[in-house]
Amino acid sequence: MEPDLRFGWTGTVGEVILGATRSEGGTRSRSYRIGGGTTLPFMEKEVTSPSPLIAFEICDDPQYWSPIVNDFCGELIHDPGAWAKTAEATYGADLVRLCLTSTKRRDFSEIPELGRTVETVLASTTLPLIIEGSNEPKIDSEVFQKCGETGQNERLLLGTAEAGRYRSIAAAALAYNHAIIAQSPIDINLAKQLNILLKEIGVQKDHIVIDPYTGALGYGFEYSYSAMERIRFSALKGDADLAMPMICAPSDSLTVKEVREAEGTDRNAIAVEWEFATSLAAAVAGAEIICVRHPDTVRRLKAAITGLKARTGV
Amino acid sequence: MPLKALDIYKLLPKKNCKECGDPTCLTFAMKLAAGKADIELCPYLDENAKSVLGATTRPPIKLVKLGVGERSFAVGEEFVLYRHDKTFYHPPGIMFRVLDTQSEEEIVAVTARVHDETLTRVGADLKFNGTAIVNTSGTVEAYAKAVAAVEKTAGLPEVLVSDNPAAIAAALVLCGSYHPLICAATPENYKQVCALAKQYGCRLVVKAPTLDGLAQLNRDCATEGVTNILMDLAPQTLGDFLYRSTAIRQLAITRSVPDLGYPVYLDATAFDDEDAAIALGIVKYASVIVTSPLSPASAKAALTLRQNIYTDPQKPIQMNPGLYRVGTPGKDAPVLMTVNFSLTYFTLQGYLESSRIPCFMLIVDTEGLSVLTSVAAGKLNEALVRDAIKKSGVENEVTHRKLIIPGYAAPLSGRIEEATGWKVLVGPRDAAEIGEYLIQEWKP
Repeated sequence: MEPDLRFGWTGTVGEVILGATRSEGGTRSRSYRIGGGTTLPFMEKEVTSPSPLIAFEICDDPQYWSPIVNDFCGELIHDPGAWAKTAEATYGADLVRLCLTSTKRRDFSEIPELGRTVETVLASTTLPLIIEGSNEPKIDSEVFQKCGETGQNERLLLGTAEAGRYRSIAAAALAYNHAIIAQSPIDINLAKQLNILLKEIGVQKDHIVIDPYTGALGYGFEYSYSAMERIRFSALKGDADLAMPMICAPSDSLTVKEVREAEGTDRNAIAVEWEFATSLAAAVAGAEIICVRHPDTVRRLKAAITGLKARTGV
Repeated sequence: MPLKALDIYKLLPKKNCKECGDPTCLTFAMKLAAGKADIELCPYLDENAKSVLGATTRPPIKLVKLGVGERSFAVGEEFVLYRHDKTFYHPPGIMFRVLDTQSEEEIVAVTARVHDETLTRVGADLKFNGTAIVNTSGTVEAYAKAVAAVEKTAGLPEVLVSDNPAAIAAALVLCGSYHPLICAATPENYKQVCALAKQYGCRLVVKAPTLDGLAQLNRDCATEGVTNILMDLAPQTLGDFLYRSTAIRQLAITRSVPDLGYPVYLDATAFDDEDAAIALGIVKYASVIVTSPLSPASAKAALTLRQNIYTDPQKPIQMNPGLYRVGTPGKDAPVLMTVNFSLTYFTLQGYLESSRIPCFMLIVDTEGLSVLTSVAAGKLNEALVRDAIKKSGVENEVTHRKLIIPGYAAPLSGRIEEATGWKVLVGPRDAAEIGEYLIQEWKP
């Protein structure tokens, strides 16, 4: 009894390359080719894709970070290089996502400092990097230019393009051959629209990762879950403007009331549960990069993904 | 292939006796064609008509009711693979496991917890659903004692887990009339187990690691007279469960293999990370999930995920429009306007509570649309806000005339000022920043 699990679909999720090894012109110890799916996640006959990948998020100014993570990671939070190294060696992440939270500071203008931070992180970890750039539209152009230049040849994933705010990031990606994250507010049509805008200014589809925006568990996650399913579904049905891999960043998880107001030892437990449940469901819905902030989530998610990929017969 | 209503009608007795609950045979036929009625409701069908109609007219996944009384619940009767295609109707029951090797106090404590524990979220009371009693000891006496301990504590739905039909029989003497779920029938023991299930009118889990094996067992049990069935897919990995559960849902809803048209049972305790199995079961079609008693953090996450996934995507949960208080606001307290999408309401309310600034929330009726979508659709407009101010009585509650509106409603600020005569202040886009905003900006 063999079910037809391609449902008559003929489309394929497009592929995107993250990171570049020495032989590919960069300095990473590995690069990833994600995408390529032809049916529902984890339902392929042979699972060959390395995804879902787990990206551990770090930042360059922890005053804008979750106090739960800050307490847990201790001194590391003041040293992005050491933090990135620990994410690779100890936490077991597949990617590091550096969030440039310093750009949230009022009248931020230390662009050269950002370049040094990116350099330090590149030197401290051999993993491919996601750089989450400016928080202030006015400095987008300088920030993305600096990040793109510093990470030249490394095939970074740069974030985040939105409708009405994508030109600076696209320019940096095009100039230095990086991929970009295209985010839309939980709406498949807006996701498609943004991809078309990016296409029009020359960003190739194999350089785009869709972020359908991840609402926190209990605060709209069901909308994100269905948006991801629908995007995957459209890609498989042949819509080329939605046939890109997806990224899920449940970073709102750590600010919801349940987590914010938890006390004592419960705080870590509930932060991890919230990230973990969201991440697992997103992986099943089709997310191929999953970003988390609590180190304990990485280990559990990794084991769960291994389990999802393992089958003992049909 | 599904039959059309008229084809079905030809096979019905055409007596219009109303005994099925429908006024005419034709309306019954229409319900059958839509998968909304069970052929068994018609007492006058001949065997031929039954066999023709049986497989094609009942809901593609059978509805199975577990337990009796207030806490009983039904699973199955699902129609789609994706919640966005329609909705998922019957959320999975999550059952806490007890072992018959545990002390009576422990068993009673777990059962009482299942009975009492409630998580209130977005206006709904979320609860766990029952107890699964496992015959770990292997003895009949210990098992009967454990079941008795559960029984005396609460009238919750139960799963009876044992390889030993004698232990199940002893348990059924105590709880047989409360529609428990017997776990599990296998190719080796199904005749014995079916006899017990039939005698007491129980629900039955069948267990096999292949789809063919499950379909065969379902047929065998039906032949023995038991059709209230759930299927344990005997997964060894999360991937096994995901693959088999998706395949079964697909084969069942398309009626390709009607013998697989039963709800799915998942024993999460067989996995190293039970939380992972529970989350996977919730999103991928499990109808009964058995787990060890969960930690407070795991319990909250599981109940919340289940609530999210089983929310009807076509009907956003809405708040009643009107004036709500946070704390005990006085005459000079801020008034914050937002929409009646419940998620917006509860998110904002959470941040307002933690800001510890007493205030009023003026909730306007956007039919459950969020701020962003209601502004885009023109549903949120100055007339709506003006009428809401009048109707809510907020004019008698505060002495000032200042209204804080959501950041995403900024384009409406001028028109709202004109229509209401209130001074409009544009708040932040992100509710997380509201506390800071009020501290910085609010002066009555």
